[in-house]
Amino acid sequence: MAVISFDRVGVTYADAERPTLDDISFELPEGDLCLVIGATGTGKSTLLGAINGLVPHFTGGTLTGRVLVDGRDTAQNRPRDLADVVGYVGQDPLRGFVTDTVEDEIAYGMEQLGIAPTAMRKRVEETLDLMGIADLRRRPLTELSGGQQQRVAIAAVLAAQPRILVLDEPTSALDPTAAQDVLAAIGTLVHDVGLTVVLAEHRLERVMQAADSVLWLRGDGSALHGPPGAVLAQSTITPPLAALAREVGWAEVPLSVRLARRRAQAQGLRPAAVSPATVPTEPVALSARGVEVRYGDLVAVNGVDLELAEGTVTSLLGRNGAGKSSLLWALQGALSCSGAIEVRGQDPRRLGAAEARRLVTLVPQTAVDLLYLPSVGAECAQADAESDAEPGTAAALLAELGVDLPPERDPRDLSEGQRLALVLAIQLAARPPVLLLDEPTRGLDYRAKAELRRIVTDLAARGEAVLISTHDVEFAAATSTRTVLMADGEVIADGTTTEVLTSSPAYAPQMAKVFAPVEVLTPDDVARGLS
Amino acid sequence: MTGSRARVPLAVAVALVIGTVAFGWPLFLRPESGMQPEQAPIVFALVLPMVLAVVLSEVAGGRMDARQLAMLGVLAAVGTILRPLSAGTAGFELVFFVLILAGRVFGAGFGFALGAITLFTSALITSGVGPWLPYQMLAAGFVGLFAGLLPRAGGRAEVWLLAGYGAVSAFAYGWVMDFAFWPFGVGNDTGISFDATLGPLENLHRFVLYNIATSMGWNLGRAITNAVLIALAGPALLRLLRRSARRADFAPAAASVASADPDAPDAPAAAVAS
Amino acid sequence: MHPWAWWCWAIGIGIAVSGTTNPLLLALIATAMVVVVMLRRSEAPWARSVRAYLILALFVIGMRLFFRILLGGSTGETVLFTLPQIPLPEWAAGITLGGPVTAEAITGTLYEAFRLAVMLLCVGAANALANPRQALRSVPAALYEASVAVVIALSVAPQLIESIARVRRARRLRGDSTATLRALGTIAMPVLADAIDRSLALAAGMEARGFGRTRGLPTAGTLPVMLISSAAATLGVFLLLGSPFWQTGAWLLVLGMIGGGLGLRAAGARLRVTTYRPLPWRFTETLIAASGVLAAVLVLGVGWLDPDTMSPALVVLLDPLALSPSTDPLQWPTLTLPMLLVVALVLAPLPLTRPRRAATVESTRNDTRVRLLRAQAEPEPTWR
Repeated sequence: MAVISFDRVGVTYADAERPTLDDISFELPEGDLCLVIGATGTGKSTLLGAINGLVPHFTGGTLTGRVLVDGRDTAQNRPRDLADVVGYVGQDPLRGFVTDTVEDEIAYGMEQLGIAPTAMRKRVEETLDLMGIADLRRRPLTELSGGQQQRVAIAAVLAAQPRILVLDEPTSALDPTAAQDVLAAIGTLVHDVGLTVVLAEHRLERVMQAADSVLWLRGDGSALHGPPGAVLAQSTITPPLAALAREVGWAEVPLSVRLARRRAQAQGLRPAAVSPATVPTEPVALSARGVEVRYGDLVAVNGVDLELAEGTVTSLLGRNGAGKSSLLWALQGALSCSGAIEVRGQDPRRLGAAEARRLVTLVPQTAVDLLYLPSVGAECAQADAESDAEPGTAAALLAELGVDLPPERDPRDLSEGQRLALVLAIQLAARPPVLLLDEPTRGLDYRAKAELRRIVTDLAARGEAVLISTHDVEFAAATSTRTVLMADGEVIADGTTTEVLTSSPAYAPQMAKVFAPVEVLTPDDVARGLS
Repeated sequence: MTGSRARVPLAVAVALVIGTVAFGWPLFLRPESGMQPEQAPIVFALVLPMVLAVVLSEVAGGRMDARQLAMLGVLAAVGTILRPLSAGTAGFELVFFVLILAGRVFGAGFGFALGAITLFTSALITSGVGPWLPYQMLAAGFVGLFAGLLPRAGGRAEVWLLAGYGAVSAFAYGWVMDFAFWPFGVGNDTGISFDATLGPLENLHRFVLYNIATSMGWNLGRAITNAVLIALAGPALLRLLRRSARRADFAPAAASVASADPDAPDAPAAAVAS
Repeated sequence: MHPWAWWCWAIGIGIAVSGTTNPLLLALIATAMVVVVMLRRSEAPWARSVRAYLILALFVIGMRLFFRILLGGSTGETVLFTLPQIPLPEWAAGITLGGPVTAEAITGTLYEAFRLAVMLLCVGAANALANPRQALRSVPAALYEASVAVVIALSVAPQLIESIARVRRARRLRGDSTATLRALGTIAMPVLADAIDRSLALAAGMEARGFGRTRGLPTAGTLPVMLISSAAATLGVFLLLGSPFWQTGAWLLVLGMIGGGLGLRAAGARLRVTTYRPLPWRFTETLIAASGVLAAVLVLGVGWLDPDTMSPALVVLLDPLALSPSTDPLQWPTLTLPMLLVVALVLAPLPLTRPRRAATVESTRNDTRVRLLRAQAEPEPTWR
């Protein structure tokens, strides 16, 4: 019995030229985990919103066709009427929180449904236990880590005891360990509680093994729904295992490292290891000695020595709270720290903000913080003025980055990838020799990540020293030649990317796991190693 | 729906009359009533919460949808952190300019609710709850309310209109608050104190002197802050708020799918009380 | 303890205080009040607000003394010192600057300022003892939507502070200084834009979780009742203050308040949301609230008595005049039995409640962060 059924559903927003979703039909049986995939802007969020009626009741737009959820038509039932059937968790859980403590937040939905206080009390306890967050019950939501917030957000919708759970990119902002926690919790809900889960996700490598079906939004409004292996083999969304399948000509994508490894062994695939690349160490663009950052009693960065050579891309990996961001901010000179920092014979900390950004520039985690003007053109002009560059420098850089943005666009309407490119262009207008990127792949799809990889590689080829702090091991493996691993404020490993990543089980990319002990990192490596 | 639509303006109008009486008590307090001047604002502080409750339950209750309430809460949060940020610096008061611009964009009813709720939240967080709070809520509510009732204007004219209103409302806010709490600021029998035995006119004269002596700097500072901030940040902020108001609009087409919905908001925020 | 019980107690005592200028009684009430706060407050940030109110009270006393001395016009015979008189222009007629300052005038001013200071202290005590978040949970149902907005504001405020800090840091990356007026705009714009985006996400979350599902439109007929009640109550106060018909005024006030309460109750019936862990109102709460009301009734009642029509024995026992000791001629204030009763009522919560342990809700830390924004510079009268 299908618990969700879409019958020739189309969605058109008021100011859009073409429908976001067009003639989509599929049915989901009860208890399935369905993965919704597609590039940014193909309508994943629209599709998820249509399940509980947020589209079109809340977002506006016109919906054609029929969406039946647990036998109820969303045309007649507003999202709030479906609250006890569909639990919906938006992209940033913190933004969706109404109250400020864990317990209150979990009770909030039930209060709205008018559930009796005694029953409510019991359900709150059950939900806390189910999501393993009982010890957090009185904590303020803002003080929780990203993974905890996400679990509270899921618990908060679960308390209403829905039959369907809709999750919009629940792990995009999390580090690998926290993401694993959240995904494990979702797995429990599917397998032990029997919930139907619809999940949109960018980084498929972590979730595709658990999926019962995959819905791929092609980008023209149409969709393909079917078993994961078959859909992934056709889709343009290429997690590493799908890329591998394509490279070696497998018709169906193996959904887990284990399956891929078995199949590779059965076929006797053994790629040659990538030739150990040597990372140039000269000429030095940035050199730091004994950098130490303290927040009160807390030592965030504890005596880090780091040299970045011109023309190299270095990844900085580590858990949340390992001190990666603090190190980047310290290297830019924007965060007070002890130790010595030198770029072109100068210390960015001793210079004014305007001079410092000509030596080292940083794109922070929330790149949008840097934007405050109403149009792309105004931002570019302002960037030129800030960096004493020729007028048009930033705009030219933007074009050079391969991103074509009309100057009158409002930066807040851009996609994550476009926004990142704009901020990069603004920051690079000062022509600094060192570029620091803090979590740039957040919210980017595979195509945007590939684009970013190309941009970063081009910049390095022009002699820029690039340091990227990231959680995305696959991106680090494909982009950087050198990797620095941090833990607890200290550098615990520093070497070529191949060396560092293949030697650590937690940070090994999927290809390294499939072909271990052969040292390969990316599907490209495998293709090269096999030919 | 016309009958129920008139409810909000009616409630606001009654609040306006009651507010005038409450703020203007020094004009009619008679010595023979046996009431001390310091007790008068306290007595009103017991009545005003009820008036505020009535108006807020009309403006917000059952009419505002989740989007408007979320906007109300978030803008109140903005005001709440602006208030302690600006306290302590004579007259440098940042709350009002957000209030005025939001009232202008989202309408009079929203403006009233925002003013009242901002001051209430701020008092809760900073432990500033007291007899003055209902007065502050009402006065700030009126600042937002009248911002929503200003005449139409566009472009630079609108910014000048709002900046001018910002300056005027800053003085008005300061005056009515000082008037209502006159005996609190200065004793009872100095030459600039309220004296029930004198007539309203003589008391007004005394109040003007009192106000010049004690609060001119505050009010002037507040007026200048308002006007300057609105003139500088007004255009950008108006654009930002209007953009969100537009994005939060229901597309008319949605109605074709969202069939009969008994308590759908009958109009977007801008129509709440205008 | 229910927050409304504390408020009722404190307001009652505040009203009692407004009915007396006896410095001995005021000092006793103030001491008792501080003792109760010290022994019964929690660890929460608002519990420390009494200090701020004490400073404010001292500020009020100082301010009034200053005006008293500066503006002259003292009556009484005991001249303490004389300031030079400064003539003022025509438009400031009726006001003198400087002149003799008498002990009678200073004492009178001090008595009145002291009364106001103790009233402020009562407000401070309520702020320190009552948990504002719990108070918010038990607002009348008619105000549900407004309380939701306040809850949102309380939870978004600390997030905005974080957002400001983040954007401020980011400004340096673009080479801006963060201290100029222009920088204020460049920080405000991203923060506000972020706040507005946040409100949309929040609204979607509320909608998806059933907000508004169990509410209907305001019931017809409640508004006229509430408006007429409000108007009646206001008219009542008007008569109370501005006419000799104070009985009529008092009746109108009481009836208006009751009518308004019933109207709000009826208006709240459209809502069927439930409350998680509602705060119980027990007998103890009633006792605490009653002790405040009783204190007010006691002071106002005794003050209303006319000593000329009472038997001499009762006058000695109750002594209504002792509530407002004369300052011209100067007279030593005395304590009477009813006053001691009032002080006992102020202390009543002590045997009725247990000391609180650490604050159970850690979200109070968020409030602290907002409070810390307050510049410590000068005490500013709260009613501005």
